Amino acid sequence: MSDELGWVRRLRPDDEVDDRALARAREALMARIQSAAAPAAATPGVIPQLAYRDIEAALGWLARAFGFREREDGRFVGPDGRVGHAEMDLGNGGFFMMGSHGGHGLGSPARIGGASQMLCVYVDDVDAHCARARAAGATIRAELEDKFWGDRTYEAVDLEGHVWAFHQRLGSPAGEED
Amino acid sequence: MDCHSDAELMAASRRDPAAFGCIFDRHASALLGFLVRRVGAGEAEGLLGEVFRVAFERREAFDPGRADARPWLYGIASNLLRKHRRSEARRLRASARALGGGGATLPAEDGAIAALDAQAQWERVAEAIESLPDAEREALLLFVWEDCSYEDIAAAHEVPVGTVRSRLHRARRRLREAAGTEAER
Repeated sequence: MSDELGWVRRLRPDDEVDDRALARAREALMARIQSAAAPAAATPGVIPQLAYRDIEAALGWLARAFGFREREDGRFVGPDGRVGHAEMDLGNGGFFMMGSHGGHGLGSPARIGGASQMLCVYVDDVDAHCARARAAGATIRAELEDKFWGDRTYEAVDLEGHVWAFHQRLGSPAGEED
Repeated sequence: MDCHSDAELMAASRRDPAAFGCIFDRHASALLGFLVRRVGAGEAEGLLGEVFRVAFERREAFDPGRADARPWLYGIASNLLRKHRRSEARRLRASARALGGGGATLPAEDGAIAALDAQAQWERVAEAIESLPDAEREALLLFVWEDCSYEDIAAAHEVPVGTVRSRLHRARRRLREAAGTEAER
């Protein structure tokens, strides 16, 4: 080998490869590959935002009645100590946001005298869902019914007047009881 | 999976991503060694993750005509190393100091430069390597440190073999000039 290549060769550090570093890198790679292989929990194409007068009360009520779960890190508390923003998972991959009455020009149905939309949510067992909502004091606007297009649904009104429709596709294993 | 070529594994990993784990098992140790030599163990681990993340995401771009993925992985590593020039320079200088401090003189055939202070000589070589154009430094270090062939380097950097040859030629001339031995030749 000629001089200058010999110099470069001499400057080559002689570190050993750390097997633990390899194992850590492999684990991280396989985790990434697995999450790439699984259908990604993509951000839903539409994320509704609903206005509530009292978000904190709504969080508790919606969890009890409909089984929604508050999303971690979704809560924003204003300088007045009141919850100004929160987010809830619907349990089916989707979620919605909650804002204060008046924010974004949106009103709570409790203040403006009626809802202007209905949110349709697919659940695994709509009969159980309905029983739970009724027990928690939700107003059942439309009782459970098999629809001609193949869904079994009911409609409920939440504590501030937002209208929710809960659906289950018939023919799924959980729907065989009816 | 061991009997499959890298190209076959890469193709399989399009449908079955877990097959990519075999690519890691075959090449990660060599790649980590290369990265540690270049930037030190601390940064090398993160870079190794980057190399395989990029490789996984671009696996469909791997040329199925190539059986061996290692040159391709070296190429990804070379690219990522461009953002780590400072650590690389630190590392080269540390190597130079260690050699100079140990009293090693530049092995030169004619001994013309043996009179120079050993430390200063090695630092000049280290600086010369640092200041090579990226493409020349990558080719040089793959050739000398990793024992890559011209063909492998050409595959890594997606250039013709002739380009690798001229890059190495230029890099060597610059090193001789920096060490002050060019005039004697």
